Amino acid sequence: MEEKFDAIIVGGGIAGLSAAMTLARGNARFLLIERGEFCGAKNVSGGVLWGSDLARLVPEYWKEEGGFERFVNHRRLTFMDEGSAFSADFKSNHFDEAPYKGVTVLRAVFDAWLAEKVQEAIDASAHPDESFIATDILVEEILKEDGRVVGIRAGEESFYANCVILAEGVNNLLTRQIGLEGDYVPDDYVAVGVKEVMKLDRARLEDRFQLQGRSGLTNEFVGAGSDGVEGGGFLYTNTDSISIGLVLGLKDLKKKGKTPYDILNGFKAHPSVADMIRDAETVEYSAHVVSTGDIRALPSELFADGVMIVGEAAHLLLNAGKAIQGMDYAMRSGILAAETAMEATKLGDFTSATLSNYRKALEGSYVLKDMRSFQDAVHLLHQEQMFGPIPNMICDFGRQFFTIDSEPTEKASKMLRAAIKRHTSYWDLVKLGLKAGRSL
Amino acid sequence: MNSILVYLSVHDARIKRSSLEALSRAREVGKASGMAVEAAILHSAAAEMASVAHAHGASKVFCMANPIFDSHLNAPLIAGLSKVIKMSSPRAVVMASTEGVKDVLGALAIRTDAAVLPDVASFYVTSDEVTCERPVMAAKLLASTTSTHPLVFISVRSGSYEVSEGETVGTVEEVAFDFDEATLGATLREIVQTTGDTVDLSEANVVVAAGRGVRDESGKALVDELASITGAAIGASRAVVETGLFPATAQIGQTGKVVSPELYFAVGISGAIQHVAGMNNSRVIVAINKDADAPIFDVATYGLVGDCFKILPVLNAELRKIIS
Amino acid sequence: MKFCVCIKQVPDVQASVQTGRMVLNAYDASAVEEALVVNEGTDDVVDLVLIGPSSATETIRKALAMGASNATHIVVESLGGLDSHAIAHILADHFASHEYDAILTGKQSQDSDSGLAGSMLAELLGIPFATNAVGLKAEGEDLVVTRQGDSGQEIVALKTPCLVTCSNDMNNPRIPSLKGIMGAKRKQIPNKEAASVSALTDVSKSFSPPGREAGVKWEGEAEELVSQLVSKLQNEAGVL
Ligand SMILES: Cc1cc2nc3c(=O)[nH]c(=O)nc-3n(C[C@H](O)[C@H](O)[C@H](O)COP(=O)(O)OP(=O)(O)OC[C@H]3O[C@@H](n4cnc5c(N)ncnc54)[C@H](O)[C@@H]3O)c2cc1C
Ligand SMILES: Cc1cc2nc3c(=O)[nH]c(=O)nc-3n(C[C@H](O)[C@H](O)[C@H](O)COP(=O)(O)OP(=O)(O)OC[C@H]3O[C@@H](n4cnc5c(N)ncnc54)[C@H](O)[C@@H]3O)c2cc1C
Ligand SMILES: Nc1ncnc2c1ncn2[C@@H]1O[C@H](COP(=O)(O)O)[C@@H](O)[C@H]1O
Repeated sequence: MEEKFDAIIVGGGIAGLSAAMTLARGNARFLLIERGEFCGAKNVSGGVLWGSDLARLVPEYWKEEGGFERFVNHRRLTFMDEGSAFSADFKSNHFDEAPYKGVTVLRAVFDAWLAEKVQEAIDASAHPDESFIATDILVEEILKEDGRVVGIRAGEESFYANCVILAEGVNNLLTRQIGLEGDYVPDDYVAVGVKEVMKLDRARLEDRFQLQGRSGLTNEFVGAGSDGVEGGGFLYTNTDSISIGLVLGLKDLKKKGKTPYDILNGFKAHPSVADMIRDAETVEYSAHVVSTGDIRALPSELFADGVMIVGEAAHLLLNAGKAIQGMDYAMRSGILAAETAMEATKLGDFTSATLSNYRKALEGSYVLKDMRSFQDAVHLLHQEQMFGPIPNMICDFGRQFFTIDSEPTEKASKMLRAAIKRHTSYWDLVKLGLKAGRSL
Repeated sequence: MNSILVYLSVHDARIKRSSLEALSRAREVGKASGMAVEAAILHSAAAEMASVAHAHGASKVFCMANPIFDSHLNAPLIAGLSKVIKMSSPRAVVMASTEGVKDVLGALAIRTDAAVLPDVASFYVTSDEVTCERPVMAAKLLASTTSTHPLVFISVRSGSYEVSEGETVGTVEEVAFDFDEATLGATLREIVQTTGDTVDLSEANVVVAAGRGVRDESGKALVDELASITGAAIGASRAVVETGLFPATAQIGQTGKVVSPELYFAVGISGAIQHVAGMNNSRVIVAINKDADAPIFDVATYGLVGDCFKILPVLNAELRKIIS
Repeated sequence: MKFCVCIKQVPDVQASVQTGRMVLNAYDASAVEEALVVNEGTDDVVDLVLIGPSSATETIRKALAMGASNATHIVVESLGGLDSHAIAHILADHFASHEYDAILTGKQSQDSDSGLAGSMLAELLGIPFATNAVGLKAEGEDLVVTRQGDSGQEIVALKTPCLVTCSNDMNNPRIPSLKGIMGAKRKQIPNKEAASVSALTDVSKSFSPPGREAGVKWEGEAEELVSQLVSKLQNEAGVL
């Protein structure tokens, strides 16, 4: 055994890089291994990094040229039926102050930038030559001795560390290899995300979406966009492109025999969407599995002797209707695991006794607190009504409410009752309303 | 100082079409800016080709007849060209961007104190400056490039200009060339030719190019058949050159050859930018690919979405009927 | 053989979304690979030299990680105003005080596609050279190069010291191992100032060329496709 690191991190996505940054700042000696040609090369994400942890990792990141695309100061939630769109639209100047509460990112750019920042932190640390970011290398095996994790194997090479942080993302083969998760993941726990990046001249983009400087818009969609399949759509503005896509339940897709690609094309052709992406040119298409945020999907444990699981490898993600939160969860869990690893170094104990502190910290943070308290909302979102009857009803009401047609007009309340009747029943709505009230 | 010298590359004792394209353009430019156009031929049979140079607009032709030039070797060619350049003392030297030219261009420029504008898609010469546009970033961009240096070399991508005839009278200047082979730091051991190397790809009117989709010998046979029916030269993507299915000389693209035929068939080629960089000047592009989203369809005039193993037999039969 | 490979950092032209990422020139990666292969089993060095901004160290480390011995970084913060002529002169200045059996360069830069710096450098150093190599073999004092010519492959024997420009069709550059990456990280890379030189050409602007319009695309049975195509080729394109 020639070299032994304080920690080996598998995966250079957001979770892995956040752990690495924390370790570098703490003068730890670590090895981060990413299978992509560079950090971000293989990563797909709809693109809003929520919350303010980024400012913890890279103070004053907003003063830099690179990294994020736009900060979010304009949010919109749209219900759509075949031909119309009814939106709740919120824009506020309280969003304009740094640290921002959300930034849009393109992962190939953002992850590479974050990796650069980690490298800078390594260079400034007490062991500039003893921590490494290695790309283009696939970790194939987690090495165990006497039941505890001691290192990794990549090809012919083996490396050892006091602990391993698994940040391999949702396709968590290594987590399964060490038995913290079963080989079979139920369809309920995963969805398919499809996404396109569409280029649009910066001036036109800013004009079209009323953006100033680096401000940006996020728009989530519920209803006809997903063609009756459980899920929803999103559209985010980047510096000079638009990220547009859908997250679709795997089980429902299979049941209805539809392909994500066709649904995405339909979504892009919806009149309210088509107007937003007019003349934009698709430069990248990608598809990726994403967790549904079902807490039952969490691995049996998030740590074991010598190992911790972070980010989406641990299915840490919340999608309760307002937004997808996966990247911020990845960031926070990465930070907490790294802090635990440093604590363990101090104690000289890397058994689960110490590493269980990672779980405790996560339970005490917004990550697991929110995942627990919004479980009902997550399940509610999966109800058939949420992506058919409800959006249809809302749009039906909107159509009547906003139409002035030189005819006697009904009162709004009557219109609403009629719309409800046409698309669902009072009773269903009351039940749903009660549930929603409790779960949000 | 006030002339344009055109170096004419020779293949199989004939002046290459791409060199005549360069000469034709030089004649136009010379006329517009009042410069004489001269030509240089370095080949054992140089004198016999001089009339062709005259016919395309060269007033004076420097002929350097020495068998050492008949197989490419850079050292003698550089020495020979330097001598002619000194005699002609031109404003600019224009040449077709062949492999032979690429091999000598840089060293020749240093030896004769010239600036170089390599691999241009268009150029213009005045007594003050030479300007050109050249593809960069795997032909994603065109860069306008200028030189005000007193002597400028320009190498021209094949197919950038049409061949046209000009004045017919002119003079020939025979230039002696002695070269002490003992001073050579390099010796040419052999030239390995594969079948197919005989048709000059960059000069062909029709090109049938094969990509990874062609897969194996049976696919290659279909491609060969299409080429023989249409009298085409055979090209290839890097992917099938790598597998050994097609010779390296057939490679088209950023690393390979630049072609600009009237008709280009891309069979089972995805259309990576590095490939497209070598063929997007073709007049008509036909793409056959089973993936409807393959980028080759973005540049194709006619796109056939389907399996080439199904399409080629039908196409070959149909074309055979028409052409014979 | 004592090799030195000239390597350049270029923008990643392949990326669909312009990330501003910089990579090792693909042709230079092949040159490094070839030198390593020729020297396999010997103790002979494969050194590197790069002219470029401080941030290009990352690219040098990538090539070191492949297994190269030592590198010199000639720091020039912007390559913008330097053409191949200027680069060749800076390199010639470097080689005036560093002797090698063979210098390798890429056959061209992936960004500028010039293909000049190598042969210019050889002429400045007064050594024999061959361009567009697809194969390389050491034979005693000679380096035997297989180069891709206009009509076939030419096999040329060069007396050392010599220079060869390499095609990426030569080999598939290895992916550095973890050990290689760590070793490279620990190597000192001496910095050096560039000799002062001037460029003879000047790029005034770059722009997207008028793109080729996508034409028509048909799907269907082979017979249908072919009859549509043949009719278009005859009646519209007039090429049959
Ligand atoms: C279409 C779509 C839209 C989304 N939108 C949003 C959004 O708007 N906001 C949000 O917060 N989240 C969003 N998410 C979720 C978010 O992308 C993920 O939750 C987040 O990327 C998880 O980060 P991670 O670091 O855990 O994993 P990843 O980002 O997946 O990173 C894992 C890394 O590990 C590497 N790796 C894996 N295995 C190995 C191995 N064996 N050896 C070496 N390296 C390995 C991978 O190459 C990868 O780089 C979206 C997801 C999708 C698919
Ligand atoms: C520096 C550099 C220089 C390069 N220079 C060159 C160059 O000069 N020339 C070059 O070509 N490449 C070059 N490349 C490589 C280039 O990037 C591509 O990898 C290469 O062109 C791919 O070749 P391909 O299209 O044959 O293969 P692929 O990309 O694998 O495409 C094969 C295509 O065939 C289709 N197909 C498969 N089966 C069938 C079937 N039965 N019927 C119909 N279609 C089918 C597939 O849908 C696919 O689109 C270079 C790369 C680099 C980095
Ligand atoms: N900045 C540089 N530093 C080191 N070598 C270079 C540099 N620029 C060009 N070269 C070498 O010259 C080759 C390309 O020549 P050119 O196409 O003329 O730029 C490259 O493949 C390198 O080997």
